[in-house]
Amino acid sequence: MTDPSGWVDAYGDRLFRYALSRIRDERACEDLIQETLLAAFKSQDKFKGESAELTWMIGILRNKIFEHLRRQAREVPLSREEEDDDREEASFDGRHWTAEAAPRDWGGDPRRKAETDEFSAVLRGCLEALTPNVARAFVLREMEGVGHLECAEAMGVPPGRLAVLLYRARMRLRRCLERGYFAPEPA
Amino acid sequence: MSLLPSCRDVSRLLSEARDSGRPLGMSARIHLSICDVCRRVLAQFEILGRAVKRAPDAGASLSNEAKDRLRRALRP
Repeated sequence: MTDPSGWVDAYGDRLFRYALSRIRDERACEDLIQETLLAAFKSQDKFKGESAELTWMIGILRNKIFEHLRRQAREVPLSREEEDDDREEASFDGRHWTAEAAPRDWGGDPRRKAETDEFSAVLRGCLEALTPNVARAFVLREMEGVGHLECAEAMGVPPGRLAVLLYRARMRLRRCLERGYFAPEPA
Repeated sequence: MSLLPSCRDVSRLLSEARDSGRPLGMSARIHLSICDVCRRVLAQFEILGRAVKRAPDAGASLSNEAKDRLRRALRP
């Protein structure tokens, strides 16, 4: 294990970027990184060297992020506005997509296009545009890979309600990424 | 009246299938076989799910003030 006095310089920015891609609040991210580094410092003897130090620290940070989002979801339950906001309905005209909302072709090799830093920046903007609980549900389920039932428990909602939040998140992110990155309107 | 689910229904079913891990029902699969737009949604949900797991390599960094605070917190 490396000297803890070098951890901030070696890992601070990468831990920060990981947290910031999942949590909107920079100050909260800094606090989570401090908790992560202190937890790593106190449990150095548990580090077996089976993974890289950074991977081990990201594992600790992920637990901190889970607890942070869980706490936030409990403190700020779904507002009436967020509950009723079913704007996805406007994407359909009867049984079919409207011409305006129909998903466009993302062109070339979208998986590869999604590996750029520009994509990360657009994604962050799109996540910030989501309502808080829709964003939290998506971060927990898709970004952190928390199981569906555990995610519903953490969010304090029944599984059926979580499915609605995740549907909204996917539909809104899909559209936002399409307009902002994969297939923008021609100038 | 069509026996197949609508595009609205299929978009919801695609999202739910990602979470439940259960395969889509036959009627949704038939819909996908004849609907290019909903097939795009299926592909785009998958791309989205994959892409967001990657931590960004560049961009934001901790402020110097935050780094100083963290260094102080780590002093024995």
